[in-house]
Amino acid sequence: MNRHDTPRADALAWADGSDAPEKPNLNIGYLPLTDSASLIVAATQGFAQPYGLTLNLRRQASWSGVRDRLLSGELDAVQGLYGLIYGMHLGLGTVATPMAVLMGLNQNGQSINLSNGMRDLGVTGGKALAHHVHQSGAKLCLAQTFPTGTHAMWLNYWLAAHGIHPQRDVDTAVVPPSMMVEHLRARRIDGFCAGEPWGACAIEQGMGITVATSQSIWPDHPEKVLGTTRAFVERYPNTARALIMAVLDASRFIEESEANRRSTAQLIASSEFVSAKASILTPRMLGDYDDGAGRIWQDEHALRFHGEGTVNVPYLSDGMWFMTQFRRWGLLDSDPDYLGVAREVQQLELYRQAAGALGVDVPACAMRSSIFGDGTVWNGSDPAGYARGFALHSLAETQPTPSTIAE
Amino acid sequence: MRILLINDTAKKVGRLRESLIEAGFEVIDESGLSIDLPQRVQSSKPDVILIDSDSPGRDVLEQVVLVSRNQPRPIVMFTDDKDPEHMRRAIRSGVSAYVIEGIQSTRLKSILDVAMARFESDQQLRAELQAREQQLEERKRIEKAKGLLMKMRNCDEPEAHTLMRRQAMSKQQKLIQVADQIIAMHDMLQ
Repeated sequence: MNRHDTPRADALAWADGSDAPEKPNLNIGYLPLTDSASLIVAATQGFAQPYGLTLNLRRQASWSGVRDRLLSGELDAVQGLYGLIYGMHLGLGTVATPMAVLMGLNQNGQSINLSNGMRDLGVTGGKALAHHVHQSGAKLCLAQTFPTGTHAMWLNYWLAAHGIHPQRDVDTAVVPPSMMVEHLRARRIDGFCAGEPWGACAIEQGMGITVATSQSIWPDHPEKVLGTTRAFVERYPNTARALIMAVLDASRFIEESEANRRSTAQLIASSEFVSAKASILTPRMLGDYDDGAGRIWQDEHALRFHGEGTVNVPYLSDGMWFMTQFRRWGLLDSDPDYLGVAREVQQLELYRQAAGALGVDVPACAMRSSIFGDGTVWNGSDPAGYARGFALHSLAETQPTPSTIAE
Repeated sequence: MRILLINDTAKKVGRLRESLIEAGFEVIDESGLSIDLPQRVQSSKPDVILIDSDSPGRDVLEQVVLVSRNQPRPIVMFTDDKDPEHMRRAIRSGVSAYVIEGIQSTRLKSILDVAMARFESDQQLRAELQAREQQLEERKRIEKAKGLLMKMRNCDEPEAHTLMRRQAMSKQQKLIQVADQIIAMHDMLQ
């Protein structure tokens, strides 16, 4: 009856040492997107086994599905939109659940696209769009991928920068990224903001043009994170650390050479993962942009997965920025404890341990300073003032204006 | 909770059966012969199998365990044997709990609940052990293929590792698949 002997926990500890992951078999949720690459490479190219993990990739149809399955425990960790993780933590649209950001997965690589119908009206940029919106009677419908997600925030920021109020001047729809082109074709939406390769696909299928990249709004902006619940981190700290190491190692590998980037693009294009033509997915992953309206350029802030580790650090200031936008757009009625919440969610200590073990540099400061495309600076200081510092917003009217507005 | 009560001995189970029903369980079967047990387990899909410790030997139990290995079920024994050593041995072999004859129906429920919980955690441990074994096995094959490639290409380890990964990614395959191809090719050329 040996085969049916009950395995003993102490025997496992003896076999693997005390740092061994408590849970070796993990279900990882992701959406079909170019920026899922580091998770796909980690799971399929032998990056997890050396750390005692097996990663089972579970492709999801929507961000709500990612959220629900993470909360139910069906998924152990997920590719998450930065804002989605913070929305869950703060209880926006769901029951507040303490969440954890283990690391950043990528920067840049999202885009705002408009339909060919809009292009034919001469609307090929923000200025023309603002003119159209304020002149035309009919409201346009623009789609993003999740109410608290990064794409909602990029779209809002970009529209507002051109004098378009995202909540009053246009209608908004929420659509999973891989469905965007289909909705554009059916003319249910006039444009969308989503991750690649779906902007490139819209152009290839003759359905739309790219009017802005997300990196033109914020060069090297935070985008997707490796997220889980805080309960998971508390229960399986070694597993969480090993998971960071596996994904960090894979992220580094992708950017080691041009050949690695290209074969990564080939791998993730598979019908099993992103399910898109490699010839469509690859160029923007390498920074070769074509906006579909005649402009071709090599982007200096294209999608990146590692950047010597700067992409992967769970900076406090990155997490805080999303809360400033929640506040700006009325998703939060009052200022949260920006720094306190970010300290709870961003798993800096676990990240430091994992990065240290791999010889990846970790900056001493948990804040970083960014200059946006519009010239403004975000460095994590005075988040409440920053949230109030925008001309267009949806801050509750009753909120008393504080005496210290940072301008 | 559905319970398959197996009674293929002369022992009187009348009271046990009543106690189970009293405790709110659904007792879905009770049978004399054990020869068709595997089929009955499969068709009735019980949550717990309750079996007499004196039923024609351990063979029946073993047969059930084998048959249900894809959809395992906790097995609980009932007995009038109060020897703790026998119980310990049975529990080590995969039995989730023991029910002693003449037990009160109120205690039955908690014993079976504990049996279910214990069984579930055992299953999880078993799955984890299996995952670890598979990881170790895959690592060995990847290391072997890497070694073969280093000799064939006369290159160092990181280069061989990267070559294998690039090959796998370009073919939309897993690293382990390419490792197995290298090993198979090497065996063929031997």
